[in-house]
Amino acid sequence: MSLGRTAPGTGRSSLTLVLAAVVLLASMTVAVTIGPAGIAATDVWQSVGHHLSTLIGRGGPGGPPLGPLLDGVVWELRLPRVLTAAAVGAGLAVAGAVMQSLTRNPLADPYLLGLSSGASLGAVAVLVLGATVLLPVAAFAGAVLALAAALGLAGSLGTLTPARTVLAGLAVSQLCAAGASFIIFWSATNDSYREILAWLMGSLARAGWSAVAIAGVAVVVLGTGLVLSARTLDAFAFGDTAASALGIEVGRTRWSLLTVVALLTGALVAVSGSIGFIGLIVPHAVRLLVGAGHRRLLPLAALLGATFLVWADTAARSLFEPRELPVGIVTAFLGAPVFALLLWRRRSSSQDLA
Amino acid sequence: MPAALSPFRPRRAALLPALTATALLAACAGTPSSPPTTLTPTSATAAATAGTAHTTYPLTLDNCGFSVTVKAAPQRIVTIKSSATEMVLALGAGDRIVGTGFPDGPVPADLAAGAALPALSDKVPAAEVVLAAQPDLVYGGWESNLTAEGAGDRATLAGLGVATYVAPSACKEPQYQPDRLTFDDVFAEITEAASILDTGAAADELIATQRAALAGVTPDTRGVTALWYSSGDDVPYVGAGIGAPQMIMDALGLTNIAAGVKDTWTAFSWEEVAQQDPDVIVLVDATWNSAEQKKQKLAANPATANLTAVKNQRYLVVPFAATEAGVRNVPATVDLATQLAAVDLG
Repeated sequence: MSLGRTAPGTGRSSLTLVLAAVVLLASMTVAVTIGPAGIAATDVWQSVGHHLSTLIGRGGPGGPPLGPLLDGVVWELRLPRVLTAAAVGAGLAVAGAVMQSLTRNPLADPYLLGLSSGASLGAVAVLVLGATVLLPVAAFAGAVLALAAALGLAGSLGTLTPARTVLAGLAVSQLCAAGASFIIFWSATNDSYREILAWLMGSLARAGWSAVAIAGVAVVVLGTGLVLSARTLDAFAFGDTAASALGIEVGRTRWSLLTVVALLTGALVAVSGSIGFIGLIVPHAVRLLVGAGHRRLLPLAALLGATFLVWADTAARSLFEPRELPVGIVTAFLGAPVFALLLWRRRSSSQDLA
Repeated sequence: MPAALSPFRPRRAALLPALTATALLAACAGTPSSPPTTLTPTSATAAATAGTAHTTYPLTLDNCGFSVTVKAAPQRIVTIKSSATEMVLALGAGDRIVGTGFPDGPVPADLAAGAALPALSDKVPAAEVVLAAQPDLVYGGWESNLTAEGAGDRATLAGLGVATYVAPSACKEPQYQPDRLTFDDVFAEITEAASILDTGAAADELIATQRAALAGVTPDTRGVTALWYSSGDDVPYVGAGIGAPQMIMDALGLTNIAAGVKDTWTAFSWEEVAQQDPDVIVLVDATWNSAEQKKQKLAANPATANLTAVKNQRYLVVPFAATEAGVRNVPATVDLATQLAAVDLG
C-alpha cells in the first residue's frame, strides 16, 4: 500500500472525526430503542436515565419507570449489547488496520495469527467438553496460546517478516480449527451444536456488563496504544528497509505491535466470538476516505467500525424477530455490498489498496 | 415475509404472523394422525383433590446443575418446545401460560383445550421477546433453549427475578443426564414440574392414570427387532440406547438395533441397518419430515429398499413431539403397542 492519495488537510480531517463521533453517539442512542420488545423510545431513555442517575447517587425515589422486566430488557440486555457492539467494532477495525500495515497484506484481518481458531478451540472445549472455566477466559486463553505458537514459529524461522508471520499464522490457524472440529464431531451431543454454531459465527447475545468492561478496557487501553504508534506504522508502510532507515528496530517493533493487536483481538473474540468482515473491510473503506496515514486512519476506523457493528447487531436482533441471527452473518451481508460500492466509486484509485 | 425487514416494526404487528401460523398448525391438529391422548386428567379440577401436600415456597432445586429458586407458584409461564408446553398443560396449568416457543408439532386437542397458548416464535424466541411477555417462569425442553443465544441466559433471567427450569431428562452434564431413561424418570419429572407449579394433586392423578395405562401394555414376545428412524437421508438419525426411544421400545418388547450406542439419539449408518435388517421400523412423524416422506425415501433408496421391514411395509408411526421425554410418552407407547400387535411378521 502507498500513501499515494493526497491526504486532506488537518482541519477537515478533525471535522470528519468529530462528525463520525457524533454519528456513533446518535447511532447508539437510537439503537438502544430498537428491539423486539417494542418499548417506546422515551421509556427506554427514561429507564437509562434512571439507572445513570442512580449510579451517580442522585437517583429519584422508587423503582425504575418501566417495571422490572422491561427495565431489565433495557439495562441488562440492550444497553450492554449496544456498548459491547461499539467497543468490539472499534477494536476489530483498529486491529485489522494495524494487522494489514504490519504484514503489508491487504487480506490481513485481526484473526490472521490463528486467533479466532485458537479462541474457538478454547470456547468449544468449554461448550462441548464442559471444562469448568468461564467461556471468555477459555476463549482468551486459546487466542493467546495460538498467538504464542504463531509468533514462536515465525520467530524461529528468522526475522519476523510479513510473509513468515502470515504463513505461521495460517499453520496454527488450521491446526486449531482441526482441533475444534474434532471436538465438535467427536463429542457434541444433540443441542450443544446450536450454541457452538452461534458462537462460531460471532454473536453479541452473551454481552452483559462484564463484556462491556472487558471489551471497553481492551479497546481504550490497547487501542490507544496502537493509535499512539501511528508514526511507526506509517514507517512500516514504506517497507522494512525504509522503516529501519528511519531508526525503527523492525523485528522487535513488529513483534510488540503484533502482540498488542493479538491481545486486543483475544479480548474481543472472548466476548463476541469471531465476528468476521469488520476488521478486514472497515480499514480499507476508511483508507479510501481519508488515505493511509495512520493518525487519521486509526481513530476514524475505530469510530466507523463501532457504528457499523452497532447497526449490524441491531439488525441481527430485530430483523428476524422473534428470533435472533448471529451478527457475523449480518456484518458480511451488509459489509460486502457496501465495500463493493466503495471500490466501484473509487475504481480509478483502488490500486491504492494493494 | 417482507414486513419482517423493518427493524422499527412494533411488537404487536410482529405477533400477527406468528398467531396466524399457530392457527394453521392448530387447524392441522385435527387430522386423524393425532394420537389418542385420553390418558391425561380431563380438567384442572383434579388439583382440588384433597390429601396432596401443597408446595412450600420459596422452593429451591438443583436443575441440571443450576440452582433454581422459585419464590411463589408461577403465574406467568413461558414454555419452549412441545415437551414443556404439554407438561404444563397436562398439569392443569395451561391458563398460566403467557407464551410458547419452538413447538415440535401441534398440541393434542384434549391437552390444548381452553388454553390460549400465545405463540412467541416458531423457533427459540430471543431473550427480549421472552421478557416482553413478563414471565415469572421460563420452562425449556432443552438446555440450549436457556442460553444467551436462545431465550436468555439462566443467571441473567434469575437476576431479573425470572425462574428457569429445564426438563431434567434433557440435562447434558453426565451426572444429571439419565443414563438409561425409564418411565420412573418421566414420572419423577412430572412430580418435580408439579412441585414448581404447585399442582401436586394433578400430578398424582396423571401419574396414576399413566401407570395404569402402561401396565396395560404387554411387551411383544415375538423377539422383534426395530429401528427408530427419526430423520436424515444419507446418514440416518436414530433412537439410541439411553433416551426416550429406547424406553418406549423396551416397554413394547422391541429390540433396538442401535441400543449399543450410549446416547439418546445417534447418527447411524444404512450399512449397519442393512446388516441387522430390523423386523419393523418406527417412523417419527414430524411436520417437516413426515412418516409418509420417510416411507417413500426408504422405498426409493437402494440402500434401504430391500430391507425386510421396507419390502413388507412393517412400519410403526409415532408423532415427533411424543418422542422426547414427557407426558406423551405413555400415550405414544400405548398407541405403538396397538400398531405393533397388528404387524404381521409372517
